[in-house]
Amino acid sequence: MRSRIFLSVLLILAGGSSLVFAFKPEDNQATSESGRLIYEQSCIFCHGADGKGDGPAGWFIGRYSAPHPRNFTSEGFKLRSTVSGSLPTDQDLFRTVTQGIPGYMPPFSGLAEEERWQVVAYLKSFNPAFKEEKREPLTIGYPPFPSSDEAIETGRNVYLTYGCVNCHGLNGKGDGKESLEDNLKDARGLRIQAADLTAPTSFKNGATARDLYRSMMTGLDGTPMPSYANQFPGKDIEAWGLVYYILSLSAERKP
Amino acid sequence: MCTLAGIAILLLTPEAQAIPAFARKYNVNCTVCHTAPPVLNSFGQRFLENGYQLPGTEDGGTIGKKQLGDLTLDDVTNYLAFRMVGNAVRSWSFKQQNPPGADRGVAENKTELTFPESFVLFTGGTLTKNVGFMVELGHDVEGGGSDVERGFVTFNNIGFHNLAHVRVGRFDPNAFYSYATVRQQLGEVGESASTCAAFSPCTLNRAGLAPSAFAAKFYGLYQRDGTAISPFAASLFNSGGETGVDVHGRPFGDWFLYQVGIVNGANEGFGDSNKGKDFYGMVRFDHAKSHNFSANLSGFVYLGRSNAKVQSQDDVNWNRYGLSARATYKMVDLYAALAVDKINETPVAVAGNFDSTATGFTIGADTYVTDKTLLSVRYDNLDGGGMLDQRTSSTFVGTQVKHFLRTNVALFARNDFNVRKAEGGDAAARNLRYAFFSGIDVIF
Repeated sequence: MRSRIFLSVLLILAGGSSLVFAFKPEDNQATSESGRLIYEQSCIFCHGADGKGDGPAGWFIGRYSAPHPRNFTSEGFKLRSTVSGSLPTDQDLFRTVTQGIPGYMPPFSGLAEEERWQVVAYLKSFNPAFKEEKREPLTIGYPPFPSSDEAIETGRNVYLTYGCVNCHGLNGKGDGKESLEDNLKDARGLRIQAADLTAPTSFKNGATARDLYRSMMTGLDGTPMPSYANQFPGKDIEAWGLVYYILSLSAERKP
Repeated sequence: MCTLAGIAILLLTPEAQAIPAFARKYNVNCTVCHTAPPVLNSFGQRFLENGYQLPGTEDGGTIGKKQLGDLTLDDVTNYLAFRMVGNAVRSWSFKQQNPPGADRGVAENKTELTFPESFVLFTGGTLTKNVGFMVELGHDVEGGGSDVERGFVTFNNIGFHNLAHVRVGRFDPNAFYSYATVRQQLGEVGESASTCAAFSPCTLNRAGLAPSAFAAKFYGLYQRDGTAISPFAASLFNSGGETGVDVHGRPFGDWFLYQVGIVNGANEGFGDSNKGKDFYGMVRFDHAKSHNFSANLSGFVYLGRSNAKVQSQDDVNWNRYGLSARATYKMVDLYAALAVDKINETPVAVAGNFDSTATGFTIGADTYVTDKTLLSVRYDNLDGGGMLDQRTSSTFVGTQVKHFLRTNVALFARNDFNVRKAEGGDAAARNLRYAFFSGIDVIF
């Protein structure tokens, strides 16, 4: 017990969050089987028995629009720390199970940490590529400088230059031209709305500065939100400026 | 002598609610748990069964104790919610019978402008691991009364996960039935009743609009204090609230649910005037796995013990046996219920003028035609029982269109047709020509 506490403290001190690997069980058949039992009590109603995203409750979430529950067997994953087109890491899956997806999936932090890892092991069994593909997270550093009026102004220019305005709108409310004209579709052809950047509690991939940076770099696969990883190498000022600009749009922002 | 209120125009009765407090607590949309509020989807049903804990979890949802000064508005709103529902316009056409026989045939064609008249404040959630609660306080402006519609505590996952969940207090017995009384798109609309004395025939001017399978069905049946029981009001297993204890669980997996309960009895307010308690048992079989499809089938037996009186003031045992089924595929939700009511051992005093069996059948469907527009239709047939010189059977078809401006704000228009009006007669079940409602439903 002491060693677990000590390990946890070490990890937290090392910059880890509460989403640590401390209790991650070995990724084997027994773990996956334990995960199946939990999945069939908690996840099956949306994601379906075969992980195809066709559970009986799934259609009602978005009705005729996106999002519908993830199809674990073949679709790309939106919420990742890996490069666009790749599968998510175990930690990514664990984070989504734990934190949920604002608006669409409740956080299952009520499951014990070990149980959440077991669920992760099971849902990977739906797609053989999880065994074959090497999944490396992009390096997401900490902001190299704090937010400032200058950084926000830089970010605003990036926002306009890189076309964010087309979907997210001039004021970030998700009311850009493409969105208003219903041109945005997800990979299933369902109508999808651009995120309202003034409401960070609705951000599906997290709302901290690092979360936003990660979303920009990885993109949200299966949606019109592309990866900007190739646009920002060596442009930390612009990238983090854009992050600060998005944060500055928030109506929920604390003074 | 007991006197009913003169013309009691009851409105859209407060019913069980979508609980936006839970949506706030878990930061999700209503549609995660509801097909169309207040109807639950399979995930929402399991959440309800688990005592307001996410399916598969037992954590109680909110963790940690806060000092008073650290409480935020979020902490409060995670437990509190509010619903306002009712009509802006309502229109009736029926022939009045007030008093019985005197004004026979007086036509009532009335269109009224009104305002949303039903308010419900509810608080619910979890207190700690596996202990939950729910209180619903309803107020009907025109009826003038406030009442605790439901108020109960849940103790969950006793023994092992999903073995037994216990509810204690005033609850809706059929919360887990395939077609739950308090979770309907076409809610119950009360009848218009005349003044009548205790244990005397009580003339209704206008039929109530409730699913016939849930209705009392009998004419000439009384509560133990002599108050007439409306044949159109939901009752027994399908009542909106009874006081007692019940247990439910899924010990063999998701495919099977059991429920047993003991309650004071039908139509009892706070306290207990019955000689005996009522018992019920329900089983439900589920298929909810994949292909955007779910289906379930439920059956129950409700045994009343001296839970009603007939005109001669003799006690009777009023039982109900029911079946219900529901199937959901993508955006289409089909449901049906059949109930047979039986009075055991008809008292000699009314024998020969009393039909001891009555049945009600309801079938309906809801479907979204767009992301925001829901169409509903319901067919009801009631083969009334009870005093032969009073009873009348009825058939209604109700339709409704509901448009959601937001997930928690909807406008609706509803029209109910009396299929048997052409058969004539002066009974309420014949008198009602049509009933139109248009209003708003806001939950926050």
